[in-house]
Amino acid sequence: MSQFRSRRKGGVHVELPQHAGALLNNLARQLVELLSEGEPQERVGGDPLEELLDFGAPRDRPADPALQRLLPDGHRDDDVASAEFRRFTEATLRQSKIHDATVVVSCLDGLAAEEVEGDLEFELDAVQARCWMRCLTDLRLALATRLDIQTGEADGWENLAEDDERLPLFEIYDWLGYLLESLVDSVRH
Amino acid sequence: MRSEQGKDRRPSPPCFRDLIDWATIASVTSTPDAATLERPDTEQHALVEVPWVTLVWDDPVNLMSYVTFVFIDYFHYSKPKAHRLMMQVHTDGKSVVSSGSREEMERDVQAMHSYGLWATLQKGDA
Repeated sequence: MSQFRSRRKGGVHVELPQHAGALLNNLARQLVELLSEGEPQERVGGDPLEELLDFGAPRDRPADPALQRLLPDGHRDDDVASAEFRRFTEATLRQSKIHDATVVVSCLDGLAAEEVEGDLEFELDAVQARCWMRCLTDLRLALATRLDIQTGEADGWENLAEDDERLPLFEIYDWLGYLLESLVDSVRH
Repeated sequence: MRSEQGKDRRPSPPCFRDLIDWATIASVTSTPDAATLERPDTEQHALVEVPWVTLVWDDPVNLMSYVTFVFIDYFHYSKPKAHRLMMQVHTDGKSVVSSGSREEMERDVQAMHSYGLWATLQKGDA
């Protein structure tokens, strides 16, 4: 049973079955990969100052629907303003999301290296707990686009045939929601 | 911060104009005239009331508890206020969660995006 319990100073105690930890690690790595896609290549041998000042041309929204949801437009019904917003914020936003996912990965990697038996048990401080929350959210957003979830309830996925290939993904989506809910409950303000 | 440094390095026209403005205001205040006295106030008022807002939109994925958490965590809103805004997102499909200058709203929208919430900014009267 995966669970989170409150600790002092906004920290959280986590208990996670090994296979759940491995799954989460894998998903977070995939998220890092997804977020690194389509990033403009760094120019080689460019002037560092010029690179610092040049935010590049206004950007189009990413082609991948999952990335579109993770990196949404800043303005509604205004493509010009949205492209401008993207030009100044998208790279930073990608970096912050990659950072959140990397915190989850390094945390679980560290535990895997210890070769513990039984459930994984560890502490997250207040900052790490927030990285975990944002990463769990990003994973759910990415999965939801893949599963084409359009309404609040996961579109009656319990009615899917047992051999439907989407079933495992729906189960993971649900489980991530449960993890996030439990984590939010355990972080007190 | 950046504009302060600029001022220090180049005390050119803008600073000089500021000085003249201050002189004008001083002379105006010393000779009471209702019409002229009110103008600077109105101008300042227009500068303070910057009409941009951050909207958070309903989406089928984000958990209600998490959205409330984000409003408390980022905006430091009270629990009742955060809950009220979350409910508004849920029932009305959107909610104005903050207002201020365009730059401030761009910052808030980017923060909301980092939390995975679907947010946009727009002129407040829109």
